[in-house]
Amino acid sequence: MRTKIIVTLVGLLLAGCAAETVNIDVVNDEGKAVMELDYRDFAQAASEMIQSMISSGALKKPGGGRYVMTTARVTNDTMQRIDTDQLMAKIEEELMNSGQVVMTSAVGGKGAPDEMIYELRDIRDSATGDEFKQETLAGKKTLIAPELSIAGKILQRNIRYDRNRQQVEYYFQLMVTDLTTGLRFWQKESIIGKRGSNRSVAW
Amino acid sequence: MKTITNILLVALAFTFTACDQPTEKIHIREGIRSDDLASNIVTRPVAHAFSALIGEGIEIDEAILMNNDSGFLELNINGHNRSYSTKRFRYKIEWLDANGLMIQTKTSTWLPASATGKSSFSLKAVAPRVEAVDFRMDTKKWE
Repeated sequence: MRTKIIVTLVGLLLAGCAAETVNIDVVNDEGKAVMELDYRDFAQAASEMIQSMISSGALKKPGGGRYVMTTARVTNDTMQRIDTDQLMAKIEEELMNSGQVVMTSAVGGKGAPDEMIYELRDIRDSATGDEFKQETLAGKKTLIAPELSIAGKILQRNIRYDRNRQQVEYYFQLMVTDLTTGLRFWQKESIIGKRGSNRSVAW
Repeated sequence: MKTITNILLVALAFTFTACDQPTEKIHIREGIRSDDLASNIVTRPVAHAFSALIGEGIEIDEAILMNNDSGFLELNINGHNRSYSTKRFRYKIEWLDANGLMIQTKTSTWLPASATGKSSFSLKAVAPRVEAVDFRMDTKKWE
């Protein structure tokens, strides 16, 4: 009987030790920093990039209007599995909201961000196209080519700091290029550095 | 009692003497510049201890708002660190429209800043919307 009570109590204690799942307060996150890149790092890098781009005046189109922009290749050269859209989605959103840029979904570094553009044209050119009202189908030569392209990479360096600690440096590098002339209008590097235990693995 | 009062008065005098430094354009730090009354090998620990005791920290001197060539509101904040130690903090700037309503942007996030002891610092922010006419700023300790 006594054994059963002890076993039950130990079981209850162990159950109580399990870390409770909580939602993160993403507005005012008081959580500790982590060695890997987390959402706060992407928010910081994106904010710095957007502000630099807007204040540079590089996106102010001579004669007014908005530039048509596409996101080219943004390479993940870190040891982590990162979808670079974590960075680029924020930047694209803010650039469009700024009124200086309109993004195209027709071309991009990973292919067309919205493949439906071409699927619909394939339908138009196939027998299935006859099922649609012809005036509702996109005509030929209707897509608008991008004028500016944004490309870059995220890279990581791991450095041994001392016997017990390591330093991990993350470099966010972006550039905006005029696709007509090939000239680079804007460029920025944003660095996020972390120092922590050797036992933390940053990949 | 009289000795303690004297020490406090001397420390206060040193603190106020050091207050002139943030306005200087060229800041030469302790240990590099020539020692003065407020910072020599004898008085330095007293001045540092007093500064920590009264809780000196970051102060904002001015916040300049202006529209840039593209019509976006730019904010330049100048301040100084009154304490002798480096102050690391985070700040968040929120942009307000003509009705005083907050504009939701991805740039309104906690960003890091740092000011070394007894030195000036500047922060710059740009509103990513032309609707922004004002701002509010919040700070918190660097976790």
